[in-house]
Amino acid sequence: MPIYIDMLLRLALWLLLAPLLPGVINKVKAWVAGRQGPPVLQLYYDLARLWRKGVVLSTLASPGFVIAPAIAWTAVIAAALLLPLAGAGAPLSFDGDVLLLVYLLALARFCTAWGAMETGSAFEGMGAAREVSFAVLAEIGIITAILTLVVQSESIALSSMFEPLPGPGAALLAVGVFIILLAENCRVPFDDPNTHLELTMIHEVMVLDHSGPPLAMILHGAAVKLMLFSVFLAQAVLPLSELPLVISLAALAGCVLLITAVVGLVESLTARLAFRRVPLLLTIGFLFCLFPLILTWMGDL
Amino acid sequence: MIAALLALAGSCLILAMGVGRAHPRIWLGLCVGAALCGLYAALTILIGGGVWAWSGDFAPGGEIASLRLDGVSALFLVLVCVVGGLGAVYAHEYWSEHHYPRSAPRGRVWWSVLTLSMGLVLTCANGLHFLFAWEAFALSAYFLITLDHGRGEARKAGWLYLAASHAGTMALFAFFSALAARTGSWELGPVHAQVGLAPLFWLALAGFGVKAGMFPLHIWLPSAHAGAPSHVSAIMSAVAIKMGVYGIVRFSGWLPMPANAGWVLLAIGCTSALAGIAFALAQNDVKRLLAYCSVENVGIVLIGLGLSVLAVQYEQPSWGKAALAGTFLHVINHGLFKSLLFFGAGSVLHATGTRDMSRLGGLWQVMPWTAALFAIGAMAVSGLPPLNGFVGEWALYQALLRAVAQKSHAAGVLPAIIVLAGSGALALAAFAKATGIVFLGAPRTKPARLAVECGWLMRAPMLLLAAAMLVIGLLPGLFFAPVLNAVSVWAPQWDGTDPLLAPRALGGAHTILICALLAGVFLVTRAVRANGARRAPTWDCGYAAPTTRMQYTGGSFAGITRGWFAWLLQPRIMICRVRGHFPGRALVVERVPETVLERVIAPGAWAVGCVADAARRMQHGRLHLYILYVFLGVTALGLMILLGGM
Repeated sequence: MPIYIDMLLRLALWLLLAPLLPGVINKVKAWVAGRQGPPVLQLYYDLARLWRKGVVLSTLASPGFVIAPAIAWTAVIAAALLLPLAGAGAPLSFDGDVLLLVYLLALARFCTAWGAMETGSAFEGMGAAREVSFAVLAEIGIITAILTLVVQSESIALSSMFEPLPGPGAALLAVGVFIILLAENCRVPFDDPNTHLELTMIHEVMVLDHSGPPLAMILHGAAVKLMLFSVFLAQAVLPLSELPLVISLAALAGCVLLITAVVGLVESLTARLAFRRVPLLLTIGFLFCLFPLILTWMGDL
Repeated sequence: MIAALLALAGSCLILAMGVGRAHPRIWLGLCVGAALCGLYAALTILIGGGVWAWSGDFAPGGEIASLRLDGVSALFLVLVCVVGGLGAVYAHEYWSEHHYPRSAPRGRVWWSVLTLSMGLVLTCANGLHFLFAWEAFALSAYFLITLDHGRGEARKAGWLYLAASHAGTMALFAFFSALAARTGSWELGPVHAQVGLAPLFWLALAGFGVKAGMFPLHIWLPSAHAGAPSHVSAIMSAVAIKMGVYGIVRFSGWLPMPANAGWVLLAIGCTSALAGIAFALAQNDVKRLLAYCSVENVGIVLIGLGLSVLAVQYEQPSWGKAALAGTFLHVINHGLFKSLLFFGAGSVLHATGTRDMSRLGGLWQVMPWTAALFAIGAMAVSGLPPLNGFVGEWALYQALLRAVAQKSHAAGVLPAIIVLAGSGALALAAFAKATGIVFLGAPRTKPARLAVECGWLMRAPMLLLAAAMLVIGLLPGLFFAPVLNAVSVWAPQWDGTDPLLAPRALGGAHTILICALLAGVFLVTRAVRANGARRAPTWDCGYAAPTTRMQYTGGSFAGITRGWFAWLLQPRIMICRVRGHFPGRALVVERVPETVLERVIAPGAWAVGCVADAARRMQHGRLHLYILYVFLGVTALGLMILLGGM
């Protein structure tokens, strides 16, 4: 298959499947609570409607207010395209692409914070400050997880990096990356995506003033980011790339759905964390990534 | 050819010193001409490889004058030329005759002296002449920092700089004399064979480290960079501290290394990176923030250099080469984006008269060019793709990851990677704060509302720098080749090894990314235009009468991270609450002191002063007591001899 068709297929896959995940989470939450809940495809309807809506811009906002969400969205999708998909591998792979992935997510973060600072609202400033501060701990955790994979596989390209650890290492890494997934995707217990108006919000409070197509891009980008982390987690823990193509893709899809369902369960069963405890839990996530790193290292000595 | 170009550049600068006082335009032409000549010569060496050497038939100070330009010095000379030339253009408007009739002529003369002496530092092949050039460089920088000596802040900063700089120079005098004494010649060059010279590296590290601003020897740096005029801050931060880095790089390549030098460099680098950015994030003064960020970047450079030294020690040429290439590229990159950021901060200062972020805000409305260019610089310094900052860090990270993946002796670099990641994320926070608080939102004070955009002579250097940064980001392959030439000068034994970097693939990915970003932006702007947009006040949770002072401030933005680093930053917060029926003004004052200076150096200096004061009481001018001292002394000596004899 020529590379551009491969790329286009993957692009379509990421763009079209990602909004499914928040729907699954909401369905699981509704199921646990004994409600019927919104349809699984709710986010698709929301996005279609938002894309057609007009925009209200703050009087203080510069053109960057509209551009920043677009850059953040593109950066997240570009990061997602770098990730290999189980047996299908990655379309564009070179040594050190894993760093590009991490820094593309950082680019998205910078732009989201930029968009939040545009309006001069104290709430959004607060959200931006929290996002960039907590991201420090999350990024340390991600780099540690990546280091574990690098030590295990002796490779620094994403396409050949996912050689999962045996046994307890994989379990520890799974917990660590899952905690970081929850934090980076602003899910409970770090953040509550359902409410917009609380002083303890992180991500949602940054997008208070966005509307119309830019808001659609933000919501869609958040869904892609959730899927990106789920795919990363699944491949970091399970040896999917060794299976035949179709089976491995199906297994990957199953894993992503499973992870999403677990996110929904966590969201239903736990309350949001007291705000000052957030760094503590993130540090625990980092430690969960650090132990498998030490384990892999010691195992090889 | 190169001799002619360098001679031309040098004579242009000497001429500029002469005419700078009275003829600003001719001075500008000469400075730019010198920069272009120097740049051409440096690039020729850097791209073509090879070494240019020259020695004269005269001997100032009893040593034959000799100059040499090789890959490593050419790399740093590029930076001197780029920032020296662009800074002159910027200064022509920023520190003009019109605004500063008294100090502008002086500033032009010292600028020429500074660039010329930095060029000489890079080209001198003789230790004695190197010290002369180094001293001229240090002194001219002092006169530039205190250009506006009417302000107490500038005088104080200049004094601190002079003291710190000379403390460093003292170590360098010791270093060069010891080197000359042991090798028997002032000629500089590789001396790997004499293993006994290894401990001298620590002297060089201390002496050059003060100038490089590595933590905790950085004490002079924040106030000097903040208090100096902005074009001077730019050249200080982008180039002058790189002279210190140059010294460390040069002598780590030439001297035999002590066994643990690599690890020490790595540890100093990690400390500088983390402490520098923690201090940067807590600053409220935009230029101080940039200055502390330089400490962080010097830390990153030292991490890379430490890794290269380790690679030499463990004979691992492949990642050693990648590490040094990343380090060198980061040196260039930091020079470009830091001068852009200081120019931007200078434009803000020029337009509003303040560097205090809590008095600025909303400047994009009146200064759109500066805002956009500063934002590009901020993204580059945070290491975001597709700009140049990412390219250097990418190579450095790869070297670190390879060192880890190989599970060689260099396993201890694991913490360095984690520190690098953490300081990168903190840098992003610091620059989200700087751009957000200064340029976005609503103007917090009247000067910020009434500011005007800077003129074209100030804008053009920033535009050129931003363009260069984008080009490095998009065509990293073009820039790795010359940098690898410099690497092979530092470690000739690594020639022929593949550094295993794929800059062309990265360049391709960056190009695709730029296209995708443009497509995304096009998509959203078209949709917004088609659907229609209307303006309304910011929705502040239904609050009816928001004021500009209700915005998030720089202090509160950094609150969380300042809490994490409180043990290091020792922040002081003074709060006057609203109390009683007729309350006075409520007030919150936050200050993050320069901890090392105020908690360590200042008490130490005070103690020395006390001892000196006590000793001074003995000098009172009474002759009979002096005779008593002499008598007591002689008696004591006699007793010692007597007792010792027994």
